[in-house]
Amino acid sequence: MLVTYPEAAHWPIDPARLDLVEEFRAKPRGPHGDELQKLLHRMRWNGDPQSDGRYVLVVTEPGKQWTLGRLPRQRGKPIELMRNHVFTSIAEAEWEVFKLRWEALTGTSLPPHLSGPLA
Amino acid sequence: MTDTTSVLGYAWPLVASPGEEITFQLSSPTLPSAEAVLVRVRCGDPDPNGPGLRLEELPASFDRTIGLTHQPIRPGSCAVVPDGPPLSALQSFTVGAFLWPTLPGERIQTVLSRWRGDTKEGWRLGLDETGRLEFVLAMQGKSWRVATTEPLLSREWVLAGAAWDADAGRIRIMVRSADPQAGRDRSQVVEAEGPTSMRWPEATPLAIAAHASTAGKETFEGFYDGKIDRPRLYAAAETLDGLHRLCETTSFPTTDQRLLGAWDFSRGMATDQVTDLSTQHLHGTLRQMPTRAVTGANWDGSTDRWTDCPAQYGAIHFHSDDVADAEWKPTLRFRVPTDWKSGFYALRLRAMQGAEPVESFVGFFVRAEIGKPTSKLAFVASTATFLAYANSALRLDQVHAEAMLEGLLTLSRDDAYLQEHRELGLSTYDTHADGSGWNISSARRPILNMRPRGNVFNYGNDTHFIDWLEAIGQDYDIVTDDDIHRHGVQVLKPYTCVVTGSHPEYISREIWEAFDAYQRGGGRHMYLGGNGFYWRIAYHPTVPHTIEMRRGMTGLRTWEGEAGETALAFTGEPSSTWRSNGRPPQRLVGVGFDAQVFTHSSPYRWLDGARAPGLGWLTAGIDLDTPLGDFGLRGNGAAGVEIDRVDFSLGTPPGTVWLATADRLGYGGTPAPEEIRTLHRGVMGDQNAQVRADLVFFPTANGGAVFSTGSIAWVCALSHNDYDNNVSRLTRNVLKRFLDPAPL
Repeated sequence: MLVTYPEAAHWPIDPARLDLVEEFRAKPRGPHGDELQKLLHRMRWNGDPQSDGRYVLVVTEPGKQWTLGRLPRQRGKPIELMRNHVFTSIAEAEWEVFKLRWEALTGTSLPPHLSGPLA
Repeated sequence: MTDTTSVLGYAWPLVASPGEEITFQLSSPTLPSAEAVLVRVRCGDPDPNGPGLRLEELPASFDRTIGLTHQPIRPGSCAVVPDGPPLSALQSFTVGAFLWPTLPGERIQTVLSRWRGDTKEGWRLGLDETGRLEFVLAMQGKSWRVATTEPLLSREWVLAGAAWDADAGRIRIMVRSADPQAGRDRSQVVEAEGPTSMRWPEATPLAIAAHASTAGKETFEGFYDGKIDRPRLYAAAETLDGLHRLCETTSFPTTDQRLLGAWDFSRGMATDQVTDLSTQHLHGTLRQMPTRAVTGANWDGSTDRWTDCPAQYGAIHFHSDDVADAEWKPTLRFRVPTDWKSGFYALRLRAMQGAEPVESFVGFFVRAEIGKPTSKLAFVASTATFLAYANSALRLDQVHAEAMLEGLLTLSRDDAYLQEHRELGLSTYDTHADGSGWNISSARRPILNMRPRGNVFNYGNDTHFIDWLEAIGQDYDIVTDDDIHRHGVQVLKPYTCVVTGSHPEYISREIWEAFDAYQRGGGRHMYLGGNGFYWRIAYHPTVPHTIEMRRGMTGLRTWEGEAGETALAFTGEPSSTWRSNGRPPQRLVGVGFDAQVFTHSSPYRWLDGARAPGLGWLTAGIDLDTPLGDFGLRGNGAAGVEIDRVDFSLGTPPGTVWLATADRLGYGGTPAPEEIRTLHRGVMGDQNAQVRADLVFFPTANGGAVFSTGSIAWVCALSHNDYDNNVSRLTRNVLKRFLDPAPL
């Protein structure tokens, strides 16, 4: 039997902690400090409850290109491809999804200097 | 984007000798034909950062263009009892069993039936779409139905049955809860008007856990999810107490001719046969390998092994998504040329799907003939592990996967296909639709991750070692787990050195003992992987390329087995980890699984052991003051993904030379559950030196030796810098010495 509880992820995210956003943008693949680790863990464990499915990448060209998708929570339903979100690096994709999750979890928009593409 | 799934197939047998015939069973719902070419696999990983796909095209005896048809897979397990006079003449009767439903309310599910789905005629006991128990009789446009008023509870035992009294023209449905307190009681008897006589459909089998789709064909529908224990069929209308007596009774007097069926699922546990204890001998056959050797309603906890008390294991757990055999017809026959080298092979299928290129593979293996080595070196194709991971949907279904893997899930076209096409059957990492673990895996179905371009884990990673052997010009034979299991040490014995790959995780007792005997006989064993020799499995005693495992209650596992169900149906042996079976991997290969790390991989640092006199052959040309393996395709290091450590208390041999360690793995190093007895903070790799990969060497009896790297990432570092690096050099040094027959 498998019992999993994504809603168990409850580390509180402070919308004022833009320093964590800066830290992630500087190094999307880590290593990360303790608090950013917790923030990322909250996001990844939680699995985008506000969205129609979990954000995932679908490989369009091995090692070279990835397309953002939404993995439905129900088995058998197709992955929804978001064809206007195509990436040529995993770091870019991580940053894009981080921004989507930040806004979904905090209910706030990132300031202009943090809402652009990866620096 | 390359389409890898528009045509799929499987090879049978999965492993063949030169001169033997292989059939390829192929299917495409859209392509009328494809170009088919046989290839020898040197590297199956398309990642452009590594060697990339390296496949050698081979001449074949068949036409390149082959026609394709669509061959559906029909998942769902059930027991089928052929039709017979006692069934077709049935008038008043009682039918019932103990039930432990796991998906009540999901859809209509049939428990016991002699029913045709197409004409809706016959009788069936089952669950309606709301999970209520129902009994239906129907013929020639007329039907009678009676149902309980409350849905059954998931994972709660009930006695469930129905009776038809033709004389009284009444039908009744009966439920008695095994645990009737605290909100669990579903006990109820409901009566309704029924027929006074019936004409049953002809040529319709009695089915348990499903009903026939039509007459005269072996196709079924209405599959039930859950356990059925001690089903009974009795040619008289009984009360609830009468049904209870029937189901509790396991020894019947032959004088009672009204007993038509009393199936004892505890007999023939490894087989597909179900035995009827009645004098009618209405024996049946199982379809699609449901899980046997599971606890029944009468399991009292006095044992956790069915072999101790089979009578408490008289249940079968049926799943609507069980698949053990796709039952596809052969599309292509091919006889392996006698001059073919052993190896990893595949049938490559190419076509165009609209504007998109299709390139799909069907993997298979050619073994070196047993006792006829063509090299001093054998590399083991970890076919048991490939089967255990076959069509893993772990990343799709397990919500912790992204947290565990420390980054966005990157899914392939194969994953996207599997998300929609669960009829392929999943892996032992996965759970059935009802949440129960997947115990059985077979090769009679397309396996997406045991072929070139498949998701790289065990299979794809192992081809990096083959690529390295080819790059250094080293000849080798391929032997497989399936053959080692069947033929024992004689498969290994002809070789001076045997290499196991990146992740030889699933090991039967026979395989374990073959390696042990090989080492003791002076063999040289290089274990170039991580988390090896970890789970105890069994192969099916008669069905080839089919394994069973039970996750049990310990080990790093993606689901937990049910209490009392740790023993394998195929053999009666205990399953779970080898560590909990008294054989930690450390005893065989010096190191054993301790942690996984997906944030990044690390280099090893050399320890004093490597500087010991007499080990110059091992370290020749390597700077021991430089990190070992600070590069690689899996996390940019040679130590990572899943890693193993030395532990003398777990059996690391006293004669072990501890050569190097990678014990600074950072916060991503997460220990296996069995490494932690009590909880405290700080057990991750940034604070815990037990989270590490160790590199060891030890001599064995009769001049043999073992060399282990304890890391899955190792083989994916070999090709760095055009194969010129210290991981490659060390592996080559050890291989050269291990191939030298002079005693170590």
